[in-house]
Amino acid sequence: MLHEEHKKDVILFGYGKFGRHMYTHLSASGHHVKLATMVDSNYEEAVEDRIRDIKRFNPKHNDSIRMLGINPSKHLLYCAMDHTSNNLFLVLSLRELYHDAIIVAISNSDENTRKLKFAGADTIIDIYEASAQHLVTNLTKPAVAEAISTIIFEKNDLRIAEIILASDTILEGKHAAEIDFYGKGLILVAIIDKELGDELIYLSKGIDHKFDAGDTLVLAGRVDDIITFKNELAGEEFQATKKGVDR
Amino acid sequence: MPAYKPDKEKVTMIKPLGRSIVSRIVKFAYMIEGSDQYQKLKNFTYDLLENDRYRYKRWFDFFMIFIILSSVLILVVEVKKPVPQWMDDYDLYFVTTIFIVEYLARMWVYSDMHKIVIRLSEESHYLHHPLQLHKVLGVLIRDKWSYVVSPAALIDLIAILPSYRQIRILRILVLFRAFKMLRYARSLSSFLFILKSKKFELVTLLSLTAFFVFIAGIMLYVFEGDGDNPNISNLFDAFYWALVTISTVGYGDISPVTPEGRVVSMLIIMTGVGLIAFMTSIIVSSFSERLVELREHRVVQEIGKKSGVIVICGFGIMGRKVAKGLAREGKELIILERDEEVAQKAHSSGYRSISADATQSSIFEEIGIESRISHVLCLTSDDEQNAFIAINVKSLNPDVTVTVRCSDKEIADKLRYAGINHVIIPEEITALMSVAHAGEPVAFEALRSIIAYKGENHIDEVEIERGSMLEHTLIGSLKTEIFRLIILGIVRLDEEGEKLFLFNPDDTTTLQAGDDLVVMGRPAAIAHFKQRIQ
Repeated sequence: MLHEEHKKDVILFGYGKFGRHMYTHLSASGHHVKLATMVDSNYEEAVEDRIRDIKRFNPKHNDSIRMLGINPSKHLLYCAMDHTSNNLFLVLSLRELYHDAIIVAISNSDENTRKLKFAGADTIIDIYEASAQHLVTNLTKPAVAEAISTIIFEKNDLRIAEIILASDTILEGKHAAEIDFYGKGLILVAIIDKELGDELIYLSKGIDHKFDAGDTLVLAGRVDDIITFKNELAGEEFQATKKGVDR
Repeated sequence: MPAYKPDKEKVTMIKPLGRSIVSRIVKFAYMIEGSDQYQKLKNFTYDLLENDRYRYKRWFDFFMIFIILSSVLILVVEVKKPVPQWMDDYDLYFVTTIFIVEYLARMWVYSDMHKIVIRLSEESHYLHHPLQLHKVLGVLIRDKWSYVVSPAALIDLIAILPSYRQIRILRILVLFRAFKMLRYARSLSSFLFILKSKKFELVTLLSLTAFFVFIAGIMLYVFEGDGDNPNISNLFDAFYWALVTISTVGYGDISPVTPEGRVVSMLIIMTGVGLIAFMTSIIVSSFSERLVELREHRVVQEIGKKSGVIVICGFGIMGRKVAKGLAREGKELIILERDEEVAQKAHSSGYRSISADATQSSIFEEIGIESRISHVLCLTSDDEQNAFIAINVKSLNPDVTVTVRCSDKEIADKLRYAGINHVIIPEEITALMSVAHAGEPVAFEALRSIIAYKGENHIDEVEIERGSMLEHTLIGSLKTEIFRLIILGIVRLDEEGEKLFLFNPDDTTTLQAGDDLVVMGRPAAIAHFKQRIQ
């Protein structure tokens, strides 16, 4: 279960074969999920599954979408209907209505990914890409597959999280090599170093980044360790040790 | 005349003698049946001669082709000038011996004589009827005779004869040595296989041609054989002219000189053009009909020499992505796809593909489910179809690792219960990816990039082998920062043999043989690290 601050408000469009799985996992992870479906049979199934926060909508009518009560600064919008054509039209409608909303859509091919991006989706999740790659990794690099499975696909307290550095953290001005992430049970995987641009830079690149306000750190670790680290960032107990440099 | 009386003493002597021989034959048959060495030798001989999947057969085929070509070359050179004695000896003794041994070996592996004897013995025992020697010999001889009179065996037998130099006419039989090539050169045998499929059409065409040659030859002989044409002195000349003309070759050594003869020529030329076109169309259509079949047959033959083959059932979106990823990693693949057009598409994309129903066992047996296939991936979009294929494979060989795609956890549980090794649910993984994205788009992109091996940062594994320099080494002393690698963890087998991922192990963790170190970094750095530890 997520820490309270990580819980998001999600509006999930679609309760078909993908939407159903997404609803289950998003809810189980502690996110607040509001379901919207255009298919009557899916609506009935959702009711049978005792989902209360559910509404019908018609992607062709803006009023119908407005009725869902979307707040673009608060809600994440997930377009997960079974047919790409429906998702495409919905993305178009949502982007027209809510310019600043974060829209995530599912796609079944590279071609549809391109179309959905063009329509205005921020992130596209290819429904086969991760599965196919995981399968290939399982056959070619079984240990890597095991690691990925444990970190990403299995229910445990390991996760990859991001932290955006505020202006008043004690990390500000320090270099990555000065911080003992390892001692805190964390692995610093990548960083968006604002001084260098918006590109995600992996630590294996060998640059000793200087932390500044606005930088985004991507960390792998246990949920408790990540929360502790976040708390420490604002507090005075934070200790930068030399051990991190040794590793 | 006194009535004939058989010599009772002689009869009673023969019967026990016959029975004694039969009982010895039966005893010998059982002895062979129980001999592992005999079975191994016979299997080896069979594989070498007949099993296209046997890895050494290829070399044996090359050897035989060399023997045949060298023998033909010697016999051809010998026509004009005598060859050195060693060549003569090579051809007479070595080549002939090889051919004789091969002929006998093929006859040996053609059938199991001892099994026939055992069957007859058990039948006679069951019926309480003594086994007769002549019956045993009769069945055995009939069995081997069926091999001797087979076309391929006849060619083999005739190919041995040219070595007998005393009869010069036998040299023409050298041609049969060239025919032996059909056994070893697959493209030639494929051509014959195609022609065989159009046997009826070709025989009809040949009969028609023979009929026209016969009619035209007689007509020309009647018109010009009485002395008008000096080149036609007998009926053979007329038939020769007719055949040369109808085939559109037209040497010109014989040509009609009378108006009647020329009319016959005109008719036969027109008929010939039609016949040639007809024959061409038969062969071309036959090739186009059988092309897919031939290609698939070749796929099986090619893969027959390899092991660790991964079979992908279904070439939909998922199948294509997996095939692409595995091909990139250099894995041996075969795509099985029920839809012929899709299978052809897979072939056009550069994969070995076969249009076949993977729910049937025959295709897996043909590819080599016992020894060649290591993994089967059931990736069609139909759960039931995937389950059917998976059960089919597992029932054929439980040791093959089977991965099944399905759409639901309940189905996944059933499949795991049935012994399926891995189950993958794309809907589930998509949902997990969506959870990973929720509110953390940067972490999600990093994660996606790592999973998909996109970008310049890869995740890889380093196996700690027994006796390697990393065995018993502390994590803290690896100095991976020199290579700019990040250690994500160690995959280790627990006491029950289950894989366990130890995330971010501390410096005092000792690496053990069998561990896999999971590291993240640039491919070049990972390769360099692997090289250094070796």
